[in-house]
Amino acid sequence: MAHLAMATGFLLILIGAWGALTNRNLLRMIVAFTIADTGVNLVIIAVGYMRGRTAPIIDGAVSAADAVTRIIDPVPQALVLTAIVIGVGVTALMLAYTYRLFEKKRSLDIRDYTDLKG
Amino acid sequence: MSALYIIAVGLGSAFVLGMLNERQKNLGYVITLAALTVMSAISAQWLIIFAATGAHPIDIFTAGTQPPFAINLRMGVIESALTLLISLTGLLSAIHMGNALVARGRRAMAVLVIAIMALCGIVLTRDIFNLFVFFELIVIATGGMVLLSDDERAVSAGFKYLIVSQFISVLLLIGIIFAYHATGTLNIDGMAEQGASAFALAFFLMFIAVIAELKPFPANGWALDIYESSHPGFSAIFSAATGTAVLFAVDKLLLIGGAEWFPVASGVGIVTFVGANLLALPQTNDRRLLGYSSIAQTGLILTVLGQQDILGQNYLFIAGGLLLAHAVAKAGLYWLSDLVASRQLTAWAALKERPLLVFAFVTFVAMLCGLPPFPGFYAKWELAHALAAEGRMAMLALILFGALLEAGYLFRWFGYLIKRESDEKVVCSATQAIPVFAAVIAGWVLGFVWGELSVTRFGLNNLLLTLPLLFALSFLLIEWAPAWLKNTVAIGGMVAFFVMTYAEYDPLRLIFAVIFLIGGAITLLASYSAHGRRVGFYPAAMLMYAGMIMLIRTTDSFGFFAAWELLTVGSYFLILRGKESEPHALSYILFSLGGAFLILAGFALAASAVPPAPTFSLANLAALTAPVAPWVFVLLAVGFMTKTAAIGVHIWLPGAHAEAETDVSPMVSGILLKAGLYGLFVLLMAMGKQQLFGIELTHALLWIAALTALLGNLMAIFQEDGKRLLAYSSIGQMGYAVFGLALMNHLGWLMALMFVINHYIYKAMLFLSVGGVAKRTGTRDMYKMGGLITLMPLSFIATLIGIIAVSGVPPLSGFGGRWIFYNAIMTSDVRMPMVILFLAGPIAFLYLFRLIYTIFLGQLKDEFRRVKEAPFWIVLPQMIYVALLMIFAVFPGIALRRVDEYLNQFFPEGGLGWSGNEITSAYGYWNPVSIMIIICVIFGVLLAWLMFVDRKAQKVKQFNIVFSAEAPYRPETTHFAWNFFAPYRKALGFLVLPLATMFWGTITGLLHTGADIARRFYTGNGQTYAFHFLLFVIVAYAIRIGF
Amino acid sequence: MIKRFIALALVVAVGSVFATLLFGYTPDADLNLTARYYAERTAADLGAANIVTAIVVTYRGLDTLGEVTVLFLSASIVGLVLAKGTHAPHRTPVPVGELLTTGTRFLVPLILLLGVYVFVNGHLTPGGGFQGGAIIASGILLLLLADPLKHFSHSLISAIESLAGIFYVMIGLAGLFLAGGFLDNRILPLGTLGNLASAGAIPLIYSLIGLKVGAEFASILAALSETEEL
Repeated sequence: MAHLAMATGFLLILIGAWGALTNRNLLRMIVAFTIADTGVNLVIIAVGYMRGRTAPIIDGAVSAADAVTRIIDPVPQALVLTAIVIGVGVTALMLAYTYRLFEKKRSLDIRDYTDLKG
Repeated sequence: MSALYIIAVGLGSAFVLGMLNERQKNLGYVITLAALTVMSAISAQWLIIFAATGAHPIDIFTAGTQPPFAINLRMGVIESALTLLISLTGLLSAIHMGNALVARGRRAMAVLVIAIMALCGIVLTRDIFNLFVFFELIVIATGGMVLLSDDERAVSAGFKYLIVSQFISVLLLIGIIFAYHATGTLNIDGMAEQGASAFALAFFLMFIAVIAELKPFPANGWALDIYESSHPGFSAIFSAATGTAVLFAVDKLLLIGGAEWFPVASGVGIVTFVGANLLALPQTNDRRLLGYSSIAQTGLILTVLGQQDILGQNYLFIAGGLLLAHAVAKAGLYWLSDLVASRQLTAWAALKERPLLVFAFVTFVAMLCGLPPFPGFYAKWELAHALAAEGRMAMLALILFGALLEAGYLFRWFGYLIKRESDEKVVCSATQAIPVFAAVIAGWVLGFVWGELSVTRFGLNNLLLTLPLLFALSFLLIEWAPAWLKNTVAIGGMVAFFVMTYAEYDPLRLIFAVIFLIGGAITLLASYSAHGRRVGFYPAAMLMYAGMIMLIRTTDSFGFFAAWELLTVGSYFLILRGKESEPHALSYILFSLGGAFLILAGFALAASAVPPAPTFSLANLAALTAPVAPWVFVLLAVGFMTKTAAIGVHIWLPGAHAEAETDVSPMVSGILLKAGLYGLFVLLMAMGKQQLFGIELTHALLWIAALTALLGNLMAIFQEDGKRLLAYSSIGQMGYAVFGLALMNHLGWLMALMFVINHYIYKAMLFLSVGGVAKRTGTRDMYKMGGLITLMPLSFIATLIGIIAVSGVPPLSGFGGRWIFYNAIMTSDVRMPMVILFLAGPIAFLYLFRLIYTIFLGQLKDEFRRVKEAPFWIVLPQMIYVALLMIFAVFPGIALRRVDEYLNQFFPEGGLGWSGNEITSAYGYWNPVSIMIIICVIFGVLLAWLMFVDRKAQKVKQFNIVFSAEAPYRPETTHFAWNFFAPYRKALGFLVLPLATMFWGTITGLLHTGADIARRFYTGNGQTYAFHFLLFVIVAYAIRIGF
Repeated sequence: MIKRFIALALVVAVGSVFATLLFGYTPDADLNLTARYYAERTAADLGAANIVTAIVVTYRGLDTLGEVTVLFLSASIVGLVLAKGTHAPHRTPVPVGELLTTGTRFLVPLILLLGVYVFVNGHLTPGGGFQGGAIIASGILLLLLADPLKHFSHSLISAIESLAGIFYVMIGLAGLFLAGGFLDNRILPLGTLGNLASAGAIPLIYSLIGLKVGAEFASILAALSETEEL
């Protein structure tokens, strides 16, 4: 189960990387990055899953005493929360940049933005 | 105050800034400055505590829980120093950007404060995921700061940065989570305890991602664009603060990875250092150039981090010195760039009018090149020694090569600043000046601190506490005074120092001391002829003399090397003052620094064989044995010969000496070259004869010296420019002196010392004479002069005495030198070099005659019929020299007798016998007094007879000659001066092909071409940079697996 | 063509690195060091039923503080970049569908309520400040879609953002003085496990975070929406 999720995550990352490397449209690159970010988050979640265990919440299903044997690793879930938010922040920033770039040159092609080089 | 407040204050003030409305910009600015000040103060407080008490680092827990179950921060001496650096950079940049920051609004200020806070967080945290979060904060903050630039292209630069950052974050996160899975903790120290071998691949991903943030070559195209287009206040932060924090992050990761990952860091670092410096060569945009330099320096520090295995705890001293020097200097230079409106390197000439800003620039360049007395110098010294001790000579060579490249483009830039013209006026407000001068002060203070540290840790010397250097630096304080006052202080100081210390020198060193100090004082007399304040002359000249006197006073290799670099720098500034000297000064500093690096390598290699205790004494050079000894010999000898301008490394000298100012040429030609000879003396005294691959090295020296003498003299005879002729003559004369040294016998050395004295006197005199003539006639081309004997009689007498002395004709001292020389040769067994040297002798006659004939004899030209004698202060030293030559000719024993006895300890046989006025050797005798008397009598008799015979002679006008039924009316047609030795050029011209110039020109050409090809790599397309990054990761991985 | 080939090669190479990680991966049989600690001690020490929340808010609170700052920074920069100031283009109203308008009026209050519920109960049930804030933001998005000309008061949003942030930092600092350390939640009484008013300061912090995140997302959405020329 964990392997399947992890493999999917890696696949998404590779798809995102491929998209970012081959698409010239800025917006498509940003979408590709979002896909890659999702893939990374999926991989993080997949690490820490243990067969036959349940969510790390102490309520009717799991009592405080047997939490140790009943819950999965809560740390990756906490990490992925942060990672998602950071991904959103960077995506928002990139979109704002794209808007500014488009305003100036009315082009969404990355090849048109090579004014600084060498 | 707990270090947590750094983070809390930063964040709190950022949120408060968010609450303000648009109109309260000034309030926002005050809050920003206050927050940054508080953060700096907390860091400073901790630094003082740790530095004063030497306490252990303390851990700061959060959430009331112990690590690794909660995040913890650590504050120690390193952390506090780094956070202080980061916060101060932020504060000073905020001050510098003042109006610009206020104009952009409170949100921009919030971005700045958060950026600084996050950088401090990277330094303080001990949790790997926390590190990631702070990294992402930096990415976003950088993206924000880049946007706040006036340059339209900054937006695309920021976007390229974000593209690559996305890839970096992906790899970093994957690495972190798999590392967590392997170790069960996210705490850096916890992971370090377990070691990275269990999760090597995950560690690789984390490591390479963090290294990529350092902008390694070649995966850094995006970084250059950011440096080029951002506001310089932000670029200062990127260069100084971000680089610092990320380097420390790499250090933390290396804690986890352990020794097997050091080579990766070293490899990436050295490629970056050399590559970035190479690519900087063709740059013309100042901020882009500074960007390449920043990347290069970061690469160098990364290399040092990777050499931790051999450096031990010293790596902090070395890395810290390099880091602080880089950060302070780069921030300062970026802040300075805000004052120059145009982005061309040559536009910086606008700063010329502001001596204080020029001084700031010089300080920063010196810090970057690792020149004494700044921290980089001590760091470089220790690094070289550590590398040599482990036999990592290839690494050392690469580092020195990269350093030479960096010195090249930085000094070329300085040349533009001083020598070019600019229409701009620099307007510098107080808020822009404060950070620059804070950086300057910080630089000098750090130099002092690193000096003190070097004393306690390595037993070296704090250069800022040596009297000669302090004396030189004190001239900076009296720069406002008129030149004659400073001249008097200089002369007085040098004479006083000599009087104080002359009893300490052995006879050999005493001669050098006399020439450097007393001789220097005499040449300074000529400087009285200058008017005004001569800003920049005295600190430079005194720096050179300080270096020279420290050279002969030191007994260990560190002092020697420090003195060598000091005199190189001082003389460079002096030479640069000449009107046309920009390219020549650059050539000079490059050859000199190249030689200095060879000397450094030689000393490091020597210390590796004979461990220093605590420093490597120069006398220990004698204790070296094969196989190290010959290599040390070669390295040191070539290094010294770049200063004496041996053939092959001589191309800088003619331009440098010829284009220098009138009173500078005697100093550099007459005195400075002797420093190289002194070095050779020390080397040969200690090491004697050495063999390398079966070649007797002193024989090789003989050949080089002989060729130098021959070719130097040969090139002199074809010169039209009087000072160039004298410069080539110096090359030739140095060849003679080195030959004498290389003979390795008693009389050879005596002759070399005699040369040292003689050459100083007559070369200084000749340069002053020609310089005086050039001043009055306005040209240095000899064929334009002629017949000046009647108008400038004193200069003529000086020149006449001078050329008699040079040629070695009796009765003057040159003859004595010749006599000793012939005796010396008789006792040695070299043949061919001797023949070459003999050939050089008559050739010298040719140029000497040309000199006096074309200038003083022959026909007086119309435009010079009214010239006066040279200024009094230029003539006075010449007359002093004439007197000295006469005295030395008649009583050579004054200087030579004690030296002759001193040399007995090296060469017991072959000395001279001194009895009364007569000097005997194994092959004959020499009585200078009787020679002088005889010649004077002959001269007197001939003169009297001539005057008697011609008493009824008729004065004839200049044009009272007729030939071929034509009467000339212009002096040019009767004065044969241009292309004087045309027949010789036809016959022997092939010997003076500019092979050396072509060789060195080809090398620099290749470097530039290489750089031009490489820079096309940086296409400007952000997607391409993503490709570069991934390729970088794959290649690094492949190499890592391979090993 | 060559570019695609190189891109493919690079992706394959990176993929092989991932494959190595994938095939070398074996899930743990038992909880590792830190997870075990959290499983055993969270309920007793912090009084929170949702262990992930306890980690996010308290144990790794510094990360969350950083994350919140990331959003703040993004929102600020987006606002800075896209600021139109007084040069907002004149926009004409556009008719949107009846379904959307009515649906919005019906759904938005429910969405906002759900969002508030999620972040207030973060310490008891799955969810928390970020999730709740995102839900609130989706409500805002729905509003914007229904009425593209809707104007949100930027000063109100900024005020919420900043005040929430300042309070968060102050609560964190209060932990230094009143409890064990920075961001320690034990400045307020822990109460009984499973109650709404339990887990010390966690519900308070998460509520602040929820408001802050909601405000920031709203700010970003509003800024992006105002760029549209209708």
